[in-house]
Amino acid sequence: MTGFSTTIAFGLVRRLAAVGLDTPSLYLLIAEAAAIPAIQADIAAEVQVQLGVGLRHLAATDVRLDCLENAFARDPDRPVTLITLDRWLPKLATALDRNVVLLTRSGAILLLADPRAAERLLTAAPNLRNRLSDVLAIRPDEAFGGTVA
Amino acid sequence: METVADSKPGAVVFDRRQLYRPFLERLNPTGSQSLLADGLVVAPDHDPRDIGRPPIHVAFANTAELTRGSQMALVGGIGSGKTTELLLTQKVLSRHPDAVNVYVDMADYADLSEISTGAILATAGIQLYRRLLKKARNKELPDAVKAAWVKLRALAFGKTDWVKQPPDPYEYEPDADEAYEVVRVHVPGVMKLRLPALRRQVVEILGQFLTIASSLESESQTTLLVDGLDRLIKPELFRQFAEQDLQALKGTKISVIIVAPLLFLYDKNRFLQDYFDVVKHIPAAAADPRTSAFLRQILERRGALHFMDRTEIAAIAKYSGGVLRDLLTLARSSAEYAYRDGEDRIGRRHVKAAVKQLGNRYLVGLGNDQKGLLRRLSEDGEFPMENSTARELLVNRQVLEYFRGGLDSLAVHPALARVLPRPV
Repeated sequence: MTGFSTTIAFGLVRRLAAVGLDTPSLYLLIAEAAAIPAIQADIAAEVQVQLGVGLRHLAATDVRLDCLENAFARDPDRPVTLITLDRWLPKLATALDRNVVLLTRSGAILLLADPRAAERLLTAAPNLRNRLSDVLAIRPDEAFGGTVA
Repeated sequence: METVADSKPGAVVFDRRQLYRPFLERLNPTGSQSLLADGLVVAPDHDPRDIGRPPIHVAFANTAELTRGSQMALVGGIGSGKTTELLLTQKVLSRHPDAVNVYVDMADYADLSEISTGAILATAGIQLYRRLLKKARNKELPDAVKAAWVKLRALAFGKTDWVKQPPDPYEYEPDADEAYEVVRVHVPGVMKLRLPALRRQVVEILGQFLTIASSLESESQTTLLVDGLDRLIKPELFRQFAEQDLQALKGTKISVIIVAPLLFLYDKNRFLQDYFDVVKHIPAAAADPRTSAFLRQILERRGALHFMDRTEIAAIAKYSGGVLRDLLTLARSSAEYAYRDGEDRIGRRHVKAAVKQLGNRYLVGLGNDQKGLLRRLSEDGEFPMENSTARELLVNRQVLEYFRGGLDSLAVHPALARVLPRPV
């Protein structure tokens, strides 16, 4: 996968803090599949600590295509949404691409995917790619021993 | 800019977030409507393809005002500023007190992966009814209009009815004549309709829409501005909407300005040019970064000079390739990198990092065929437009079109060109 800047959850959430949660942000985060659970936990903790809000976490397989509006509706208590693309779902990619304005209306949306899914998403969804605030490679915060590398 | 947040009395702590946040908010490329209200949009002063002609929003507004019922299409690459042009058109049209402007982004009302023909008319009718309700304040709307609204809502969103069960077919005994199976036989006529007949459901929706519209003063100037359907990308899907919803509006005095997918422009059938009264094309690159001050003005209007020198502004303009959304993305990423580094100003290395990120985004997913086409364009200036892979590069903005000195020219997006690997 092409070399995007690498960050950890701390740096990512620091960027969200700079932008503020009133400004829509849409990030694609690329991580090795094995590291994804650790990164999800890192992001949830950083969002709580740095921003003082909750994280809404959805798996791609949980997103109902007929209710995209609900999936991306603003939740004042949890204005940061993390969507993990746990499987490659071409219909979801198309729906996100065509309805990308729903993703860029409120708060921060973080799409987390492994390199393969990220590459497919960037290729299959040109409107989405165009609206991304940034694409970042993300790795787990290795503050504690035993974290998946 | 400085906040008192330290425990020591009188100590002042610098909060860098407060420095960057307003700038980043102004760089949000998705909030055109509020940016317009805040005066942050720099309106183009001429047609992007002809400096002697008025800008697109003025041309559209003039046509809608002088020829009621005209239908206009706006095509352009992703992020080229089509929504901004529509909003500017709406603003110009509002100069007349009898103007009724209905702006709809179809994605606000419907899942674009699931919508069917009739949806534009239904959405416009819903918006128009909402407008009439607000205007009427406490007065009642005519019964016919209220009834049309109820029917329109049912047609748009469906309804649940109680119906009698038909008799069990196994208990039915047909007469001898009815026992014959009926098959459909079509005898072709000598003529083929240029446009297909309107579907029954579209006709029904049109009827309700026109009843609602009849509440407007007969001499009012109504313009429907439709955004979002360019995201369908495939021309044939868009064509169905034009042949049904827009065709249905022909003959009414309601003007339509609609955003269409860019691929249509290269369609051999020339449907776009044949169907619409006016077609305007915004090249992905709104301006040539080498010769135009337009891009720098946009950044300066949003406060860039407080954060970076003119050299950095010029570099961002250059590597945006003239694409407005990339211009804002680069400025925003550069600011985020400067913030990450704990610096108060955006430096050269922050811009460089942002350019590399943007270039990589365009590079992802490109195979050898695409890379070969890009290299040919860079080195020999050749680009086979008849090739579908080449056209995709254009639609996805990896290749940009410029209009210089009366001639069209193509170039690899400068941020992509910077990261495009050389052949081994």
